[in-house]
Amino acid sequence: MLTTIEKILFILLALVSAGFTVHGFKTIIDTIRMGRPAPELKNIPASLLKAGVTVLFQQTIFKARKVLSAIHMGLFFGLITYAFVNLVDALEGLVPNFDLIYSGKHLSPPAWTVPLINAYNLISDVMSGFLLIAITVFLVRRFIVKDKALAYRENVLLNPKVKAGGQAKDSLIVGVFVIMHVSAHLMSQAYRLTEGADPFMPIASFLNSIFGASQTGVHVAWWISIGWVMFIIPYLSRSKHTHFFMAPINLGLAKQNPRGQLDPAIPLKVIDGRKYDPGAKVITDLAWTRIMDAYACVQCNRCQDVCPANFYGRPLSPSALEVNKRYLLKEATFGSHPDLLLAPLTETVISPEAVWSCTTCYACVRVCPVGNEPMADIVDIRRRMLIDGFEIDSGVQNALQSLATNGNWMGKGKRLRGRWAKEMEFPVKNATEEPVEVLWFVGDTASFDERVIPNTKMVARIFHQAGLDFGILYQNESNAGNDVRRVGEEGLFEQLVEQNMAAFGKAQFKQIVTTDPHSFNTLKNEYPQFGGKFEVKHYTVTLLKLFEEGKLTVKNKLSHYKVTFHDPCYLGRYNGGFTAPRKLLELLGVEFHEMPRNCENSFCCGAGGGQIWMGKVAPGERPAENRIKEALTTFERHPNEKKQLFIVTCPKDMVMYSDAVKTTGNEGKIEVRDIIQLVAEAVGVEEVSQIVG
Amino acid sequence: MNIVVAIKHIPSIADDLPVKGNNVDFDSVDFVLNEWDEHSIEQAVLIKEAVGGTVTVVGVDLIGELDNALHLALAKGADKVVKITADDPAADSHQQAKWLAEAIKGMGADMVFAGVQASNDIDGQIGPMIAAYLDMPYIGGTSAIEVSGNTATVSKEFPGGVGMKYSVTLPFVAGVQSAPKPPRYAPVSKVRQMAQTATIEKVAPTGEASAGLAFKKMAPPVATGHAEMIEGSPKEVAAKIVELLKSKGLA
Ligand SMILES: Cc1cc2nc3c(=O)[nH]c(=O)nc-3n(C[C@H](O)[C@H](O)[C@H](O)COP(=O)(O)OP(=O)(O)OC[C@H]3O[C@@H](n4cnc5c(N)ncnc54)[C@H](O)[C@@H]3O)c2cc1C
Ligand code: SF4
Ligand code: SF4
Repeated sequence: MLTTIEKILFILLALVSAGFTVHGFKTIIDTIRMGRPAPELKNIPASLLKAGVTVLFQQTIFKARKVLSAIHMGLFFGLITYAFVNLVDALEGLVPNFDLIYSGKHLSPPAWTVPLINAYNLISDVMSGFLLIAITVFLVRRFIVKDKALAYRENVLLNPKVKAGGQAKDSLIVGVFVIMHVSAHLMSQAYRLTEGADPFMPIASFLNSIFGASQTGVHVAWWISIGWVMFIIPYLSRSKHTHFFMAPINLGLAKQNPRGQLDPAIPLKVIDGRKYDPGAKVITDLAWTRIMDAYACVQCNRCQDVCPANFYGRPLSPSALEVNKRYLLKEATFGSHPDLLLAPLTETVISPEAVWSCTTCYACVRVCPVGNEPMADIVDIRRRMLIDGFEIDSGVQNALQSLATNGNWMGKGKRLRGRWAKEMEFPVKNATEEPVEVLWFVGDTASFDERVIPNTKMVARIFHQAGLDFGILYQNESNAGNDVRRVGEEGLFEQLVEQNMAAFGKAQFKQIVTTDPHSFNTLKNEYPQFGGKFEVKHYTVTLLKLFEEGKLTVKNKLSHYKVTFHDPCYLGRYNGGFTAPRKLLELLGVEFHEMPRNCENSFCCGAGGGQIWMGKVAPGERPAENRIKEALTTFERHPNEKKQLFIVTCPKDMVMYSDAVKTTGNEGKIEVRDIIQLVAEAVGVEEVSQIVG
Repeated sequence: MNIVVAIKHIPSIADDLPVKGNNVDFDSVDFVLNEWDEHSIEQAVLIKEAVGGTVTVVGVDLIGELDNALHLALAKGADKVVKITADDPAADSHQQAKWLAEAIKGMGADMVFAGVQASNDIDGQIGPMIAAYLDMPYIGGTSAIEVSGNTATVSKEFPGGVGMKYSVTLPFVAGVQSAPKPPRYAPVSKVRQMAQTATIEKVAPTGEASAGLAFKKMAPPVATGHAEMIEGSPKEVAAKIVELLKSKGLA
């Protein structure tokens, strides 16, 4: 179809385009390689393949926003189809007399290929129509409806270019490209139809009925369609749409370690004898996988939607973090600001206040369709801020100082840790003095907080009643360090691990059980890296087992309660402990209603990652308060006279939600209880406490 | 600028305070750094950061466990640490002031900081006594110290929101009430690094002094009265309080 001059022009253009494309992706790869070594990834081909399948079926994006995700899926298949369509278009241009219209009759193809050619014509024609509609929906969403989910809070640090609408410009360019490209393709086909309608090309035939056939038209439309491709491919490497290529790769190279295991503060692997300071100050201090996150980010803001800190007005947005990283890298590598690679992250990608607002709830990482880990960056930034002597919140500082001297964050002496146990009506074994079956790691809140100690004692009574051979470490127990590590105090975390490992070494036990999900997480996922070889269970699992073995029996069914259950981040999302608490509630016979945000999608209470230590309290509706309202709305859908309970399985939740019930003025309407209180009532252990009390 | 900071190790009150005989049972308490000393270290490091110089931290090692406090001081920015190996947990402030003054004498200090008081004896005299022994002026209760040349501008805060600035000629001794900024946090990794690499200079205690006071009795306070918590709804509680006030003839 093309004239010789046109062909030469095309080849020149293709070369230029390929040159820019190669340069673009080489720059990206070089930039990613500037990052630090990441924890070792195993079996990369298999996980890339798995990611390919995931992307093909668009599984991860369906974690949220179902309708838009379906349209995105259509767009995705449309674009895949179009890669093929462009190939055929190129052949039409370069191979004389090549076209596929009218069942490909100009090529006199073998008979068996005719249905295939017809199918191709139909699919490419209809898909073109769909693409035009889908892109219009996304452009309308961004530019006319201005979907709030795509906006950032005023107080969130943003790269100036993002603030000035850089992302929108990107979307507009690519959107306009798709519309022009697809329309031009359709027109190039329509202009070819010299013999009237082709039943397998309804849209092109319709356009043909309006515009007629034209040789000049074919040339112009072809050049517009393919010319755009030559422009857009190199452009993609420089725009947010790099995610077309980087998202599947990033997903294939995503974190393989357990969710509850943070990357070390200093890489375990060292390249070229380089020396690393702990954590991250500048962007190249991040692991290479997390530099890649910035290129993979589709800037969908799903992570911001689920972020509890963003929810109550804190200046934190995990998506802004990724977007800012992306723009910083773009200006540093494609633009004229290489110095940005040495700019502190706290001035360019996330404000210090935002860094200290993260609850490390993992919701952002869980929801991200491309496997990004904004939370891991935040922890790395905290780590370096602590080393560099950044002024930290006084409450956090007091907690850390107390943890360093007393082994707990509450400013209490070590010897007071087991005081509650000494007040029991039966002796609680000291596991460092006599062997026990089960070592109960009690945790700070459950050991020291007067509001929680009654529940701690209740757990002891139930264990005792069930004949469980258990003991505690008394003053030898130190805080497990989960939140210490997430606050960024890696050295203190290591010190606490050493103290606890020494205590475990003195004790004889078969299994550890914890009442605190935070301790549970680090003991299970992080202590093994420090030589911890033990099985760790959450008390909900232990309780369930005691029921199943008949060591505990429900004497009074609790059908007079209407309850809902809050999944603690570190039990649920981090460690998949969804079923044991629910099964327990079922056994106890309560009327159970699930809140809309449950299991993987549970909403953080706001206490994690050191937030509970913060001295300064920010204004705004706190996550825990919002959660109490969610529970009440859930109950409203099932009105009856039963007592309404909010069930927790984490000592911190007991404190957080009891406060939230008070501050939202809902005392009397809903009561916060630890699951152990229900178990006690159902198995009839209350009498014991009355004897004592 | 040569700044010397005197620090004091005191029994921790995070635990119940065990009593043995007429004193604290020193064998079953942890010793911690006096809270005000954190401020005097911070004040010294801030001055060093502003005008340069060295910060030397010196303390009396009462029970052989002072090292950790000294490593902490190094992690916070001190340059040199000295411990006076006394090994006498019952040594009073007067004795400690004498030992400290003797150790500081040869250090050529431009400024000596002490915490304005320590919470174990609330004596507040170590600073003034060191000043007396070294024959330097003393200024107590400082909230900020800035140095320029041979003069320091010392701020103090008084009740009722009144502040005062003094101009003090070096050398002098200050009793630090607070640093202008909260004492910085020393990351444990730094403290541990100091513990592995730093050397602590040891000095034998010299000189004798005594307050001339002796402990007569130490015992936990005996509760004399008791508080009654009134149970019930806010309305009921209020009604009971009114009733009570009336019954006592107060309303
Ligand atoms: C370390 C420390 C901690 C403190 N903590 C607290 C606290 O927690 N709460 C609190 O309320 N206060 C506190 N104070 C203040 C303290 O209670 C009194 O202010 C202090 O006892 C007064 O003594 P001075 O040496 O500061 O005053 P000065 O003015 O030197 O001495 C005042 C006393 O000297 C005598 N005096 C002075 N001049 C004359 C005169 N012309 N004729 C006769 N007698 C005279 C009087 O008896 C007078 O009461 C603290 C003081 C210090 C040093
Ligand atoms: S971990 Fe939770 S709080 Fe932190 S950025 Fe992610 S969603 Fe927000
Ligand atoms: S980090 Fe993931 S969830 Fe967040 S905006 Fe980017 S792609 Fe979306």
